[in-house]
Amino acid sequence: MPIPTHHTPLTPAVLHILLALSAQERHGYGIMKQVEEDSQGKVKMGPGTLYGSIGRMIDAGLIRESDKKIDPEMDDERRVYYVITAVGKKALAAELQRYDDVVTLAKTKTILTFTPAYGF
Amino acid sequence: MASDRTPSRYRKLYAALLRFYPKPYRTRYAEGMEQTFSDLSREHAEAGERLLPFALWAFTDTFIGILRENVSSLFSILTMHAKNILRPALGSALLLLIPLIAMQYTREVNWTGSDFAFMGILLFGTGLAYELIIARSRNTLYRWAVAIGILTAFLLVWVNAAVGIIGDGPVNLLYFAVIAVGGLGAIISRFQPRGLAITLFAAALTQLLVPVIALILWAPPAIDWSPGVLPVFMLNACFAAMFAGAGWLFWHAARA
Repeated sequence: MPIPTHHTPLTPAVLHILLALSAQERHGYGIMKQVEEDSQGKVKMGPGTLYGSIGRMIDAGLIRESDKKIDPEMDDERRVYYVITAVGKKALAAELQRYDDVVTLAKTKTILTFTPAYGF
Repeated sequence: MASDRTPSRYRKLYAALLRFYPKPYRTRYAEGMEQTFSDLSREHAEAGERLLPFALWAFTDTFIGILRENVSSLFSILTMHAKNILRPALGSALLLLIPLIAMQYTREVNWTGSDFAFMGILLFGTGLAYELIIARSRNTLYRWAVAIGILTAFLLVWVNAAVGIIGDGPVNLLYFAVIAVGGLGAIISRFQPRGLAITLFAAALTQLLVPVIALILWAPPAIDWSPGVLPVFMLNACFAAMFAGAGWLFWHAARA
């Protein structure tokens, strides 16, 4: 079954949020730190950018709010967690496939002669 | 090491900034944003870093988000009310064609650009007010009351601007008090039928008081009272009766 592509291309912020949530559900601060780690500091989002993207992603059905719970690694405050949906997983897979296709094309045209940092 | 009080001071400022988001957005995300900001500022404080550069960056990022969400919200409102805006716009344009076409065939009609602009704004504003107010209720009495009230206000402004009610002097500026009473009363009453009834009765009373005040301050021949004191009072009585009629309809709409 072909991967749906109607959500591609994704903005860098949306892509990294989906990547951050692909392994586990996270709260806002957790998403920010994971995105910073995944991008090796190249992508830094402020709360305004993060939650603006979260709002649009929830409206698009890519992620949803999960339970409000305490993060044992932080403090006693209850935080809203976000989780990727099935639609979000498909959109992420489609975007990564698109990147893979572009890198493969670049290699065949000998534009790209080294392995990129993210290991595609 | 940063003072323990500084993160909480910045958090309070950040919480105040979040109030500028549109209400639906604020309801959903303000708490999370505040927590995230607090987590980040604590992280910077524990690392021994100055909080001001971080706070400036976070505030700027959030301010841009505020602008974006408010523009998006305004666009949604305009889209939702597109028909309410297009109908009076088209209606005004069609009505303005009448004097425009007439001017091609007779010199009796001679409108300047500012005449068209004034009438266009008046027609569009009247139509838009009607569309937006009746959207608040499906009650037939309410809608008729809105129609009569707004039509009366339109006629009052038009007649006053075109020829004047008490002669054609600046004394006619007193009639802005009638429009002010109606407008302010409608806003204060939040367009609820009972409040609008009281507003329209107050507007009717104000309408009747204007020529009385004018007569006390500028009895003839101090100013021109053409076509005559009695006709002026009769015309004002007609306007007052229309406002009162609209008020009566609102009163019964409130009881329905």
